[in-house]
Amino acid sequence: MISKLTKIGAIAVAGALLMTACGEDTNSTKASAAGASGGDIVVGSVNALSGGATFPEASAASKAVFDAFNASGGINGKKINYVITDDKGDPSTASQSARDVVESKKAVAMVGSASLLDCDVNAKYYQQNKILSLQGTGVDPACFSSPAVSPVNVGPFLDTEMTLTYGSEKLGLTDICGFLEIAGSTGPAYKAAIDNWSKKTGKSLKFLDDSVPLGSPDFTPQVIKAKNSGCKAVFINAIEPDAIGLLKAAEAQGLTDVTWLFLTSTYTSEFAKAAGSAGKGVYVPAEFAPFTDPKEAANKDWRALMEKNNIPLTSFAQGGYLAATYFIEVLKGIKGDITRQSVTDALLAMKPIDNPMVGTPYVFGPGDKHGSNTAAWPVQLKDGAWVKASDTWMLQN
Amino acid sequence: MLQGALAGLAAGGLYAVIAVCLTLMARLVRVVNFSQVAIGMFAAYLAVIFAEQHLPQWAATAAGVCVGAVVSGLIGWIIAQWLPEAGIGARSAVSVASLLLLVSLSFILFGSKPKTFKSLLPGPAFSVGNVVVTQVTVVMVALALVVAVGCHVLLTKSKIGTKLRALSERPTTAELLGVPAKGLSIAVWVGTGLISAAAVSIVAPTQTNDPISLSFIIVPASAAALLGGFRRLDLAVVGGLALGMLQGALAQFEQMSVLRYWVPFLIIVVFLLWTQRKEVWDVAR
Repeated sequence: MISKLTKIGAIAVAGALLMTACGEDTNSTKASAAGASGGDIVVGSVNALSGGATFPEASAASKAVFDAFNASGGINGKKINYVITDDKGDPSTASQSARDVVESKKAVAMVGSASLLDCDVNAKYYQQNKILSLQGTGVDPACFSSPAVSPVNVGPFLDTEMTLTYGSEKLGLTDICGFLEIAGSTGPAYKAAIDNWSKKTGKSLKFLDDSVPLGSPDFTPQVIKAKNSGCKAVFINAIEPDAIGLLKAAEAQGLTDVTWLFLTSTYTSEFAKAAGSAGKGVYVPAEFAPFTDPKEAANKDWRALMEKNNIPLTSFAQGGYLAATYFIEVLKGIKGDITRQSVTDALLAMKPIDNPMVGTPYVFGPGDKHGSNTAAWPVQLKDGAWVKASDTWMLQN
Repeated sequence: MLQGALAGLAAGGLYAVIAVCLTLMARLVRVVNFSQVAIGMFAAYLAVIFAEQHLPQWAATAAGVCVGAVVSGLIGWIIAQWLPEAGIGARSAVSVASLLLLVSLSFILFGSKPKTFKSLLPGPAFSVGNVVVTQVTVVMVALALVVAVGCHVLLTKSKIGTKLRALSERPTTAELLGVPAKGLSIAVWVGTGLISAAAVSIVAPTQTNDPISLSFIIVPASAAALLGGFRRLDLAVVGGLALGMLQGALAQFEQMSVLRYWVPFLIIVVFLLWTQRKEVWDVAR
């Protein structure tokens, strides 16, 4: 009897460990999507195309920009060969993908990448190989602290500071409580962002609970904690499913009179629909001109290109589009051969590029770290749809 | 503390229902079914897709639950067909493969963007202090009790229960005596698939409902089933409810909130140590 029970127990443990170990593999069962649009100037990207958190729109948008550029003749008779690789949310695959693009395919630059771990895994490698990355969507802290990477988006850390600043300074909220879901090495960066907000505004969170795991199935205990602590606003860095879980638990517990300060990661049409009535009071700093407003003039060209290529309208698609657009602008300024060296030199020496889709100009430059996008457009959820909460950009110094 | 424990009752109810299903599977068909919640997750997502085709919510949920039961039966048929004499390890490995398959299939079929789940049981049942006990929580706890008591009665008082027990204790002997082993095994799979699909479909609209978050509820549910040694239905129910409430209570204390996610693993390890306590090292090896 005991040995049978032990056997069952051992299988349970083995299964649990196997599932934990297979977590990433589970997320990467879709076929690796690698594509090339044919041409002479190789440009690469490392993306999360398969798995639980996927961002395929960024590289798809970059490809649409490059395809349109090639169709209009390219540059000096040369066309861009855009290579899209899938890191499957797996560090070793991300590393292999980068080496394949940089060494085998001889890419001149990385453009429009959108990944949870590309920067963490590959930033030093890019630096060693003197290749620069115009990240379409930078997520991990290394994207904002490497000389070789300059994201076009604001990123989750400055976004944290901005959503808190908007809440405390523009909405005049008090008693803001904080929950953090820490993935990988992001903890210190989030805490530094919250410290920055505190230093600049002189305000602090009622409490900060950084023990919320990614993918927590039930947020009722967190909601009760917020309720018992008298929180009037709640900040969380959750991605879409978790944020919906929090809102649903709050609705069930009758915690409906609080303001929710979320990040751009929840700014999607699907989130607005899925949150439904529970989404009342959600505010998000959108990192690019709000795409949910069909009349937004800044997005006109982007929207037309995305619709023509059947690419979903998301912030990721905006990031990929902008990265490719900036890259072409820099490419046009290069005199002589277009090589990795000449592209790197041009990016390091480039002048800031304005675009109405962002509140601050984009620049790479020679700095040790990059983060030129420091503006966001506040949006809020109303009746199951996103609407602008402001008529202008919010700048974060 | 009490409020935190009550807050964890919603999760505990689901753990209890799944733990009962896991115990039944381990006892009757010799499988630790790691795909138990994934089957329910798949059914819940199918219900959303059916509802998008303008089916009434109850009909969409019922259709999803039925398909979930069929999927469960299919996995059971595969095991009964090709691994009838295999040990519990090999049979359980099939359920791990099924779990991974169902999660992957969900991403392929339903995408990775949030889906609009509509609740069948909206609203509160009653309140205790600051905590609202929802209708979903009440139904989950009741479902766990009803399923556990119902299965106990079925197994001890009915002819089919006697056959199931015979099959579980002496499979070959039972088969030689004319007990339809394959059919009964598949029926157990369909039955537990139906229960877990119904439970997950009821709970999914009220919580985080992406395929991975839902499917991995199997970990705490397994810990709850372990409290009953994968044999006792009553302890599986108590284990599920206690685990949920303990996690809810621990979440209220800053220093201890991290600990709550280790509780299922602690239970599994303590259980293994306890069952091994009288083993001599060489013999145990």
